Amino acid sequence: MSEEILRVQGLSKWFGGLQAVKDVNFSMQRGEILGLIGPNGAGKTTAFNMIAGFLKPNSGSVHFAGKDMTGHKPWDVCRAGVARTFQLSKPFGDMNVVENLMVGGFARHTDRSRNEARAFEIAEFLGLGDRARSEAQSLTAFDRRKLELGRALCTEPQLLLMDEVVAGATPSEAEEMVQLVRKVRDRGVSILIVEHVMKVIMSLSDRVIVFDHGELIADGKPADVVSRPEVLKAYFGENYDIAGA
Amino acid sequence: MKTTIAAKSTRSGGLRLNQTTVLVTILLVLALAPIVVTDSFTLHSMIMVLFFAYMATSWNFVCGYVGQLSLGHAMFNGMGGYVSVLMFTQLGLSPWLGMLFGGVLAMVTAVLIGLPTFRLKGPYFTLTMIAFAEIVRIWIENTNEFAGIPLKGAEGLIVPNRGDDFWAFQFSTKLPYYYIILSFLAVALVATAWMERSKLGFCLKAIRGDRDAAEALGVNPTFYTSLAFAISAFMTAIGGSFYAQFFRYINPERSMGLELSIDMAVMSIIGGQGTVLGPLLGAAILTPIAEIARGEFGGGLLGLHLVVYGLALMLCVLYFPKGAIEPIRKLCLRYFGGNER
Repeated sequence: MSEEILRVQGLSKWFGGLQAVKDVNFSMQRGEILGLIGPNGAGKTTAFNMIAGFLKPNSGSVHFAGKDMTGHKPWDVCRAGVARTFQLSKPFGDMNVVENLMVGGFARHTDRSRNEARAFEIAEFLGLGDRARSEAQSLTAFDRRKLELGRALCTEPQLLLMDEVVAGATPSEAEEMVQLVRKVRDRGVSILIVEHVMKVIMSLSDRVIVFDHGELIADGKPADVVSRPEVLKAYFGENYDIAGA
Repeated sequence: MKTTIAAKSTRSGGLRLNQTTVLVTILLVLALAPIVVTDSFTLHSMIMVLFFAYMATSWNFVCGYVGQLSLGHAMFNGMGGYVSVLMFTQLGLSPWLGMLFGGVLAMVTAVLIGLPTFRLKGPYFTLTMIAFAEIVRIWIENTNEFAGIPLKGAEGLIVPNRGDDFWAFQFSTKLPYYYIILSFLAVALVATAWMERSKLGFCLKAIRGDRDAAEALGVNPTFYTSLAFAISAFMTAIGGSFYAQFFRYINPERSMGLELSIDMAVMSIIGGQGTVLGPLLGAAILTPIAEIARGEFGGGLLGLHLVVYGLALMLCVLYFPKGAIEPIRKLCLRYFGGNER
């Protein structure tokens, strides 16, 4: 259980003169749900993109299950067992739900009928079974998000990176997504989740790390982390403790 | 509203069987057509339709599925023609073998051009392809001899007449040409139908849908696009050899000019790019129109068929953005929907 699935060491990224991520270190255990939070512009998505292979870090390393994946291309990262979702869901609009899911399956298997059967399974799992033959562009925003999650699952990941899964969702949809993410973890997938909605993070995460101005400022149990002064300061500003007192 | 949902749900399940049936039926009808059609002019026109259907299908193999507009495919057509003709006249090699060399040359060129240019999006890719094709055309047009090979510039190459000789790819009647181009077209259509259902097809459509998302799902866009581009270039070059043998004459303007590239692209788009049968339909609609326009106004109004293309393209974009195949497909679903599964 305590096997390390992800290790991020000294990760840094510069955009021109701006350092978006500063020397970040953290690791994840297999089977863990790790929440990554922080105010807007804290460098969460940048760090996320470096792990997924969409950005090359200026320095530092990313190890996945003991293997160095630093600066590898997204498709290699995917084949190594790391899947991701996007903040803005990106369905293949003119393909139907099952075909969308099958693309994920082809990352590992060339057998079409196997991928199709698996895609139907995943569609059922997501509660999209009745829309399996609908074009992705006809889906609601939330269904697209679920489709995005399903596509990632079809690549059979060991680690799933999720970027803002409930942004714009209604409370009941958010609850449904939380249940889905739990079910995904029960299938043995470790999950790194970037999220703004505190309720979701608090109820899902085993552990939370907090970014502010590109630095990792806290790491611990969700309930402990949110009461730390440096985290409150990052979210609410310098004078928060005075107002609270 | 309910019927459209029902139609959609039967679509993918039924389409597979349906598409194969339609494909086989069309090919059978075309194979039997010469029994009825015996006059040389009509047969010639039908050969041209099949030739353009073949070219549009080759174009569609990459461009239709990956969603990039190449207006430089004529370059590969020219390569196929020039290589097979030159190997025949200079080395005495049968065009049947020469066309394979032309195909391989086109493939290599496609990969070399594709690696840097497929990163480009939209109009930039299109412009780069036009530029490459025009460079090759203008170079050949102005080169009489290169490294001992007589390219003969703008004058073009004539294929010496050998009479009725299978190995020389020359026949005294039109009929053999008809069956040859029909076989080529059949292979191209079957290859497209197979590709569409294979990993390659899914990867290409994913790249068309969203490149980043495709990458995240394990698709290396450069690899799959180059692979499809190479296959497409090979098929186009084979078509170029056929063209050269059929007319026994090629020149840079006709065999690798921009006009041919536009023909291939417009026929695919109007018929329905990214579908197996769309390019065939596009060629069947546009080739006769172009031929008639050329015949009727050829003397005075050269290029009128391009105006016709423009009009057809505008109508298509307005009313059938997915191509003329889409309404036909919907009609088939409505009337034969029940039998499809």
